[in-house]
Amino acid sequence: MTLNTQRLVPSSGANGKEPCGAVLICGAGIAGIQASLDLAESGFKVYLLEPSLAIGGKMAMLDKTFPTGDCAMCIISPKLVAVGRNENIEIITLAEVEKISGEAGNFEVVIRQRPRYVDSSRCNACGDCAEACPVTLPSEFDRGLGGRKAIFRPYPQAIPNVFGIVKSERRAPCKAACPAGVNVQGYVALLAKGKIKEAYDVIRERCPLPAVCGRICQHPCETRCNRKDLDEPVSARDLKRFAADYVYAHREEIQDVPPQPAAPQKEKVAVIGGGPAGLTAAVDLRMLGYAVTVFDANPLLGGMLRYGIPRYRLPADVLDHEIQYLLDMGIEAKTSTRLTDPAKLLKSSAAADGNGSEHGEFNAVFAAVGAWLSGKLGIPGEDAKDVWPGLKFLHEVNTGARPTIGPNVLVIGGGDVAMDAARCARRLPGVKSVHLACLERREEMPAHSWEATEALEEGVIFHTSIGPTKILTENEKVTGVAFRACTRVFDEAGKFAPRFDDAQVSALAADTVIVTIGQGVDAAALAPVATGPGGRILADRETLATNVSGIFAGGDGVLGPVSLVDAMAHGHRAAQAIHRYLRGETQPANAPATSTSEEKLAPNPQPDAKPEPRRPMPQAAVGERLAGFREIDLGYSQEEAIAEARRCLSCGLCSECRLCEKACKPGAICHDMAEKTRTLQVGAVLLTPGFEEFDATKRGEFGYGFAPNVVTNVQFERILSASGPTAGHVVRPSDGKTPKRLAFIQCVGSRDTGCDNDYCSSVCCMAATKEAILAKEHEPDLDITIFFLDLRAFGKDFDRYCERAKSQLGVRYIRSFISRTYEMPGTKNLRVVYANDAVQQVEEEFDMVVLSLGLEPSGSVQEQAERLGVVLNRWGFSETSELCPLDTSRPGIFVGGAFQEPKDIPDTVMQASAAAARAMTLLAPARGTCVRTKTYPPERDVTDEPPRVGVFVCHCGSNIASVVDVRAVVERTRELPYVAFADHNLYTCADDTQNLIKDTIAAYRLNRVIVASCTPRTHEPIFRDTLRDAGLNPYLLEMANIRDQCSWVHSQNPQEATAKAIDLVRMAVSRVARSVPLVDETAPVRGGALVVGGGVAGMTAALAMADQGFPVHLVEKQRALGGTAREIHTTLDGQDVGAFLDQTIARVTDNPRITVHLGSRVAKVDGHVGSFTSRLLCDGDGAGTEIKHGVIVVATGATEQKPQTYGYGSDARVLTQLELSGRIGRDDLDLPTNATVVMIQCVEQRNQERPYCSRVCCTTAVKNALLLRARFPAARIMVLYRDMRTYGFRETAYRRAREEGVLFVRYEPERPPQLDLDGHLRLRLYEPAVGRDLLVRPDLLVLAAPVVPRADRGELSELLRVPLNADGFFLEAHMKLRPVDFASEGLFLCGTAHAPKFISETISQANAVAGRAASILSREEIPVSSQIAWVDPDKCISCMTCVHVCPYMAPHVGLNNKAEVQGTVCMGCGSCTSDCPARAITLRNYASTQIVAAIDGLLTGRAQEPDLEPVFPEQVGVAQPRWHVSQPAPAKGTP
Amino acid sequence: MKYSFFPGCSLESTAWDFNRSTRAVCGALDIELEDIPDWVCCGSTPAHASNASLALALPVVNLQKAELMGAPVMTACASCYSRLRTANHKVRHQPAERERAEKVTGRPYDGGVEVVHLLDVLVNRVGLDAIRKRVRRPLHGLRVASYYGCLLLRPPQIVAFDVPEHPTCMDSILAAAGASPVDWPYKTECCGAGLSITNADVVCRLGHRLLSMARQAGANCLAVACPMCQVNLDLRQADIHKSYGDLPDTPVLYVTQLLGLALGLAPDALGLDALSVSPTLLLRRGEVAPGVGGGATS
Repeated sequence: MTLNTQRLVPSSGANGKEPCGAVLICGAGIAGIQASLDLAESGFKVYLLEPSLAIGGKMAMLDKTFPTGDCAMCIISPKLVAVGRNENIEIITLAEVEKISGEAGNFEVVIRQRPRYVDSSRCNACGDCAEACPVTLPSEFDRGLGGRKAIFRPYPQAIPNVFGIVKSERRAPCKAACPAGVNVQGYVALLAKGKIKEAYDVIRERCPLPAVCGRICQHPCETRCNRKDLDEPVSARDLKRFAADYVYAHREEIQDVPPQPAAPQKEKVAVIGGGPAGLTAAVDLRMLGYAVTVFDANPLLGGMLRYGIPRYRLPADVLDHEIQYLLDMGIEAKTSTRLTDPAKLLKSSAAADGNGSEHGEFNAVFAAVGAWLSGKLGIPGEDAKDVWPGLKFLHEVNTGARPTIGPNVLVIGGGDVAMDAARCARRLPGVKSVHLACLERREEMPAHSWEATEALEEGVIFHTSIGPTKILTENEKVTGVAFRACTRVFDEAGKFAPRFDDAQVSALAADTVIVTIGQGVDAAALAPVATGPGGRILADRETLATNVSGIFAGGDGVLGPVSLVDAMAHGHRAAQAIHRYLRGETQPANAPATSTSEEKLAPNPQPDAKPEPRRPMPQAAVGERLAGFREIDLGYSQEEAIAEARRCLSCGLCSECRLCEKACKPGAICHDMAEKTRTLQVGAVLLTPGFEEFDATKRGEFGYGFAPNVVTNVQFERILSASGPTAGHVVRPSDGKTPKRLAFIQCVGSRDTGCDNDYCSSVCCMAATKEAILAKEHEPDLDITIFFLDLRAFGKDFDRYCERAKSQLGVRYIRSFISRTYEMPGTKNLRVVYANDAVQQVEEEFDMVVLSLGLEPSGSVQEQAERLGVVLNRWGFSETSELCPLDTSRPGIFVGGAFQEPKDIPDTVMQASAAAARAMTLLAPARGTCVRTKTYPPERDVTDEPPRVGVFVCHCGSNIASVVDVRAVVERTRELPYVAFADHNLYTCADDTQNLIKDTIAAYRLNRVIVASCTPRTHEPIFRDTLRDAGLNPYLLEMANIRDQCSWVHSQNPQEATAKAIDLVRMAVSRVARSVPLVDETAPVRGGALVVGGGVAGMTAALAMADQGFPVHLVEKQRALGGTAREIHTTLDGQDVGAFLDQTIARVTDNPRITVHLGSRVAKVDGHVGSFTSRLLCDGDGAGTEIKHGVIVVATGATEQKPQTYGYGSDARVLTQLELSGRIGRDDLDLPTNATVVMIQCVEQRNQERPYCSRVCCTTAVKNALLLRARFPAARIMVLYRDMRTYGFRETAYRRAREEGVLFVRYEPERPPQLDLDGHLRLRLYEPAVGRDLLVRPDLLVLAAPVVPRADRGELSELLRVPLNADGFFLEAHMKLRPVDFASEGLFLCGTAHAPKFISETISQANAVAGRAASILSREEIPVSSQIAWVDPDKCISCMTCVHVCPYMAPHVGLNNKAEVQGTVCMGCGSCTSDCPARAITLRNYASTQIVAAIDGLLTGRAQEPDLEPVFPEQVGVAQPRWHVSQPAPAKGTP
Repeated sequence: MKYSFFPGCSLESTAWDFNRSTRAVCGALDIELEDIPDWVCCGSTPAHASNASLALALPVVNLQKAELMGAPVMTACASCYSRLRTANHKVRHQPAERERAEKVTGRPYDGGVEVVHLLDVLVNRVGLDAIRKRVRRPLHGLRVASYYGCLLLRPPQIVAFDVPEHPTCMDSILAAAGASPVDWPYKTECCGAGLSITNADVVCRLGHRLLSMARQAGANCLAVACPMCQVNLDLRQADIHKSYGDLPDTPVLYVTQLLGLALGLAPDALGLDALSVSPTLLLRRGEVAPGVGGGATS
């Protein structure tokens, strides 16, 4: 599957059908964000799909960006907010594409959205949930260096600004394994945080006997614990015991009252049997509201727990306490009551009726009668007096009777009961020896191994693999037992099928024999309930219903002897079944299934966790144990328990302890949310999923994963980031110390055929340089070394940046590939071995090593792409061609960003806008059909009203209110002048509070509003919108940030924080009283685009705009279109550039919306964004033409600078690369078959004079070398280079060239190749690898000449008032995020006029221009902010200061010789305002009167009397207030 | 647990102590070993450095013999392990190699016989828990540097049963035996291998490098699972001392010898007296196994 490389021109058009005006964008990193904004702002509905919790992608993780040094978060955050605010962008988080059908223009996309477990509309992002959450997991955002809670927000600026939970898709093994459904991970997590009562409560939800269960449970949870693979399972059972014991021991401090049952039901239920199954069912039914009576034949409740389990394992007082707790819930108990016919208990039943006996009072019965019969051996002598059935023996011991037995005891059996009996016997007075005989081998014994071990410790002697044949008696007294050898116990299938060898016999002497070989059920008494084999009651597996309607059965009586937890599980199930029976429901229970099949269990999320053995449970010494029946396990101390609980790996991620639910005041958390699927109708799909970093553990030789001081570059970004895990301190993970020597290893997972990543990741050289510079800024004494292969600083201003790192900051660049690191013992430093310039092996130690990881397409995208039907290349990136870089293999699906090829942020942003433009072209007819604009009520005129300020003080849950006394703030605020209303709210941004604000504005006729809450950065738009909804001008809002600036920063000083909050609110009141309504204006958009330059860039931009329906004037100074591309015949991937050019020119000239002006230039430009007027001069036409247009595109290109060295121009055998391309294309090369061709790179560039890289020459050299190699197979081709900058997939061509025998020889700029021209071309060059000069006689010498800007760029720059950079290329508004915009609105640039670049990049950038320009051209008018500078003409002295300082060229001196500020151009930065010597300029909404009033409010610190007349001495160019206060004081509002 | 055992030439000669201790430890852990009858040399380095057919056919002959025994093949020697696994890998993945192997040996073989290393068996099949339970004399006080060498875990696509760059299996066995494994960076560095005779200088230099790093990491002995590594570090230690003279004697034991001691086996049964650098003092200090003989250099 490959693309048709002949496809030169992108396809478009929606096949006749009306297209849909909505676009789906998959991936919400910077690419998806940019594309969303471009599309939404130009009339398309956007669905922005993101697989994680929040948008922002990788860029949000970066500290700073290169080469500008901007804070990444500071520059991306406004974009995040803009996306969040845009009502035509719907962000769909935790989602991915499931299916797509339809075709370009009309797709139907099914998406799958995982649950967030938080209701986004209710969450206020207060963070109380995360505060409460006991689970800390490695933070993905900090790449594991820091922690996050199970409920979290990846970073504080995240959009959507709400919390969420990511649960494991599978269940925590411990939880899944517990038959009773106890939330094991939940209580362990809570214990780890010392929340003991909370843990106890979680246990109690499913376990009515926590302290009992915590002692004797067989803990299937521990068997499954993922920790077992690391060291040992977490001691979940012992922790349960600790929680219960602790709560019981602290009864005075900890309130432990049984929960309230549900509303009473009228039905009554009888439970027969007070063992664990019966008690569990009784509790569950009681909680459901039923009246429950428990019947038990024994005098005390507890069943086998009381009469079977020895007291040294389960003390009676523990059991008593927990049973009493259950009885306190209102469960009635009737003990010493043996029931013969359970049917008689039923109110109405066939059985009862048939017997003609009296009706019972119960509506249902649960029979949990247990298994109380001891199994018999069936051998002679068993009836002797001193032969004890095991259970009888234990019953006697446990009731406190001390059965009289002989001194030599023999226990027969190998199970737990045998151990219990043997160990009990050891404790009885008079017993001298206890032996135990069983059929099984030691390792086959059914008893738990720890029980057997403890029995051995206590002196029980085992005799294994023997079976009793006869109990020997003498005078009716037992003397011993005869045995024969047991050769096997289980058959091949594992079934019990013993075989004996009668030849091998033995005998053991004993005077007492205890037989413990199984238990039976005495269910005969339960007639008419049907029974089966072994006397077991027959009950339905699922519903536990017996043959008698209304009678249910469970526990040992049904299953035979089972563990405590299995019995409890049956109790739960019975209660559910009975409840359904009584409610007349039939559907089966949906209790948590205990499926422990591996595929349903969550894997260990922290495989790198440090091994840490479990805390042993303290035990009494053996000697003390045997002294009596005191409990032998002593229980954990609090410290031990917490330490043990901390070993939990949190496999389910969220522990589902539900503390967050309790902590969340708005009630936003819902743990029962389920996955959803949705179907979207869209016209086009954009793929912007970004990249993942290479998995560094695949290159284990560098130590990542086991050497703590080896970190990845993304981790290092987090370390550098002020908001990162180390708060921006450069420290080593191993010891938190500042490193002194730091090394970067480049190309880890890039340019590496070993792991199939044989492409270059394009960004790492610069990223490492940036990180080095930042680290130096943080720690000036740090020595930094970057080990690299080729320094690929090919972008605009990149070489300068590296030069600065090298020469100014002393970063050491060593060209050597590191093969491994050695972690030094003790110091944990890393030893690195490299080859120095003299090709000698050098060993050097570093404190810390940063791996520059390659970029890979993300794994999850691969499947999605398949579902989308998009062809991927062999690495999993989207397949595109050089001349169609934005189109995937499927029409209507476009690609942008690193998913197309690894690229940096500007190229990503550029390509995102370009992909957006491709969608716009496709969907042009549907523009505006799916968007909506909000309408507001008419604005109230408040100019005549005295200020009536309403103040809303926010609690922000407990975020503010727990520190700041919000009531005091309200009280003090009410005293202030103008304040007509003040109150406090739990969450001011909540929907209901916003409605309250609207109602209050109406009720109190407020005309100014103050919200004292959080930051205006995120919340001002919300409240401004509220004002507009209430009919008030949005500029009459003021915010006081009493959260960030008071409660958060002064959390330790609540009084001062409150005082500061009062001050801030007072300042806001003083200021807002002087605010005036500002009306945002609009400016009309007239005409289409003016494109300057008719090369590939200009033509592509013109077509991309014209195809959207916008008229375009294309101006070209030459007599023909085409530009530099005419000299390029083929692309690296073999596409025909000539044919592409011909097609493009034809499309341009045929397009009725494009007017081509050949031989023309722009002579004059007037106007501003939306309405420019320009004059075009054509050769020989004096007057020229005047055109009107809304935007301007600069696409004037660049040119190759002809060299002045290496004999160029004087010898025909010396060419430039561009000339060689032309000659190859025209087949115009005459060379001997064995010709020697030498290419010299970086000629007259990357030097003092031209300190930049022309980006394309290395690839061009490789391309031409390969073409020559194909044409002249015997030729010797040599490329002399400084750094081969074949970035991205171009790297594979570089490798192919080497494989095909092209020689690449590096030279240092200090020792460039020398040419002698004496008839022959004789080239002398120094070969660093061999360390000496080589002499070459080329037949053809090809020079990589620099790409330089056009000579006439200055003229255009002045005409358009747009800047050039130091190298003469046009300078964009922002090198990272606005790569195709000029700083002035409405002006754009693309192609090599911006910087040297390839055709594919030019095509992207030209499309990007169309995407950006559409947001202007698609409107009839564009909004103009009124928060701009205004010049008071009376004060202006026409000094031109404002004209000089304005970075946007907004002010100009108008016709009346006074400065004027063009509203469409002004950005409201305030530079002119502060610099104006006559103080003639005011920035609206930031008038000095407002600022002075705020300061006065702060400094005077007292309530001032309201002014009688408005105090607005300052003109701001809008209607002035006209009010006066007739009343002494406005009425104060009280809630 | 039953395995067809391939001892290999080293274990029959220079590494007889490895042989004896392997068998003793396996016996103690209920691992049944049945020698492959009439086994031949695996070819080792000489074969694969000189003749590709021979290098393939020699291990295949052994595997064909093992095929009749019906149990997986276990070997203790790292080199044998590497050769047997490589042969299997080639036969399974390269039809031409399979054809060659069948032609040379004259018998069909599809690469189906499983080949495992002793360490793999101990860690992943017997299990650390089981080992821990059988330990009678924990190796307290022994700070061991586990030395895996080149062949045991590389190339990873052929042999790896542990992380190839940072293996821990031997460390976990020794930890289970009560010793304190030290973390050190030269776990998989080369010892000089087959240059022991032809270029002893290189071996001495590399050996010194390894021993100094082990000492720097706090180890008082080395554990190995390769006869070549053992010889180079143990037998050559006298020469290393002669050349450098800056290190104390560092006993180099087979992992099976250490484990055997922990399992309570007698020094005799483990061939401890074959060691050049005697571990007696070290073991006595740790009270692991008193009275061990041997000691050519100490």
